[in-house]
Amino acid sequence: MVRASSVEIRKVNKFYGPFHALKDIDMSIAPGKVTCLIGPSGSGKSTLLRCVNFLEEYNSGEVLIDGELIGYETAGGKKMSSRRLREMRRTIGMVFQQFNLWPHMTALQNVAEGLIRVRGMAKSEAEARAADALEKVGLGDRMSNHPSRLSGGQQQRVAIARAIAMEPRLMLFDEPTSALDPELVGEVLSVMKALAAEGMTMVVVTHEMGFAAHVADKVAFMEQGELVAMDEPANILHHPEDPRIQSFLRTYHERNSF
Amino acid sequence: MFSWTTFWESFIPLLWAARFTVLVSGLGIVLGLGIGALICAGALSPWKPMRIFAALWVSFLRGVPLLVQLLLVYFLLPVIGINVPALVAAVGTVAICASAYISEIWRGAINALPRGQTEAAKAIGMAPLSQWTRIILPQAITMSLPALINELILLVKASSLVSVVGILEITRASQAQAATTFRPLEVYLAAACIYLAINLCLAGVGRWLEHRMAV
Amino acid sequence: MNDLLAHYGPFLLRGFGMTVLCWLLGTVGGMALGLAIALIQRYSIAPVRWVLRIYIEAIRGTPFLAQLFLLYYGGPMFGLRLDPIPAGLLGLSVYSSPYFAEIFRSAFGAVPIGQIEAARAIGMSEPSIVRRILLPLGLVSALPAMVNFSIVLTKETVILSIITVPELMYQVQRMSAETFRYVEANLALALFFWGLVELISRLGRRFETRITKHLIERT
Repeated sequence: MVRASSVEIRKVNKFYGPFHALKDIDMSIAPGKVTCLIGPSGSGKSTLLRCVNFLEEYNSGEVLIDGELIGYETAGGKKMSSRRLREMRRTIGMVFQQFNLWPHMTALQNVAEGLIRVRGMAKSEAEARAADALEKVGLGDRMSNHPSRLSGGQQQRVAIARAIAMEPRLMLFDEPTSALDPELVGEVLSVMKALAAEGMTMVVVTHEMGFAAHVADKVAFMEQGELVAMDEPANILHHPEDPRIQSFLRTYHERNSF
Repeated sequence: MFSWTTFWESFIPLLWAARFTVLVSGLGIVLGLGIGALICAGALSPWKPMRIFAALWVSFLRGVPLLVQLLLVYFLLPVIGINVPALVAAVGTVAICASAYISEIWRGAINALPRGQTEAAKAIGMAPLSQWTRIILPQAITMSLPALINELILLVKASSLVSVVGILEITRASQAQAATTFRPLEVYLAAACIYLAINLCLAGVGRWLEHRMAV
Repeated sequence: MNDLLAHYGPFLLRGFGMTVLCWLLGTVGGMALGLAIALIQRYSIAPVRWVLRIYIEAIRGTPFLAQLFLLYYGGPMFGLRLDPIPAGLLGLSVYSSPYFAEIFRSAFGAVPIGQIEAARAIGMSEPSIVRRILLPLGLVSALPAMVNFSIVLTKETVILSIITVPELMYQVQRMSAETFRYVEANLALALFFWGLVELISRLGRRFETRITKHLIERT
């Protein structure tokens, strides 16, 4: 079992100029729980996710990781030092829609890079750990390949290995399967499922309702920068009360039925 | 001490000499456009010897420094019995050199047109000539305008080299002015300011064109 | 003809050596300055960026020859008294720096933001990100433009002859003035440059394909 973090989001607001992207978001995620963020595109799910590791700067409110404020020294105060921010980010893994592997490094180097540069590990130790992480995502035989030689699903699994090699206590997934061909989605989801079973705290922005229904402990529905509802998967996905959720799911089912 | 008087007074002879800078680069681009169009047509022609000629033309003129080209023409013309004023030789050389770059600009623009454009024209039964005059060239020429302005800026700067064959343009005039005033710093700074002013204006035109095209 | 070669051969050879030296040092100097400018532009406050912008526009808007005259003849007036060769090298570096700076700036801009964010997300420091992600990716994608501009610079070296840097052009002009063989000398020089530029372009292209092969996505 991994040591898992809790996430506490309180009254978070985010503006892009006049555009109000996040409106008073409150959310709390217990250690070891999996939360899926769903909703139409442009609803603010990715923005919210990126606020959790402060890749996106929220304008007001608080985001607490294990009770510790991220991004600012005090709520509404000065921004925290970049050194402190880096320290906090070390415990938060992130997986992107576009994989964002570094194309000039092999799979193994991609995973080892953070261990060497950020954790200050010796190269040999880092590579051994990186190899373990790659084994874990089922890519033990592709370690010396450059990203350009890997399929999308394999690239995304390397990206997950890169994140878990850092031994995070919280994993953020930003639409991890949206850039993949349909037949490659399964391999990535099963790696994520295994990670959830180990007790990792996970926040996942996704359009995979099956994953949300079967793996998530909570599903949060967002629309136009607001958190409309957050509940057990069944209550959101099968018996939603809010008409906005009903209409979203209707569109989703229409698009996916044939 | 920096002499502001010399600096400002230098502008009079230098601006007067700038007419040759404008003449050489202006005529250079106009003639270069004409020759460049022919070379570009050659590069796109179905006839192989024509394509080879165009490729050699472009590669030679882009491979040899303009200064060497200028001296070569300057010395070569009298030997083969052509006696023209240095100014004509200089403008001709600049234009020929520019034609190589311009033909590549146009070739690039034509190749950048989506294939669907000509296919759509063919599909409605347009004749080959009309495909060129109605579809390909109007788009390619518009697309190439910013690059051509850029080429003109390069020519304004390159025209400083014709000073070597005795044309009294800005650079040559500033050498003379520096020799009489013994104040090279002020004089050459003034010359640099004039070049910069011309080129900033041209760059402004280029940006305006690009902006208008984007709309 | 043989006598001529025997007599002028060593000068031409030395001139060629000087051309190569000026080109190499001028290019390296220009790249170093350009890289510094591009990095400072990326990581500094607005006023510094404006000053660098003005520098870039001023150098790009004026002819190399005018810059050389300003540096070589005007330099002594503000205490910069340089011999032709150092003046030429400095001139070539300064002249090429804004072009390289622009090449690097657009290459850095083309590094996908996601790859920088991925490094930030695992807690890498900015200097590490520059060294390990931005530079390797940026420099590789800048390579074609760098090679192109370096080739342009081989041709600019002949302008150094005007401030009497004893490079190839200078030696050829001296020779042709002494032998009155202006046409042959300049024609030979033209053919020589043509061959040289073609050769470096080919080598450059081969080098590019070798170094960028990992960056091409499998389709």
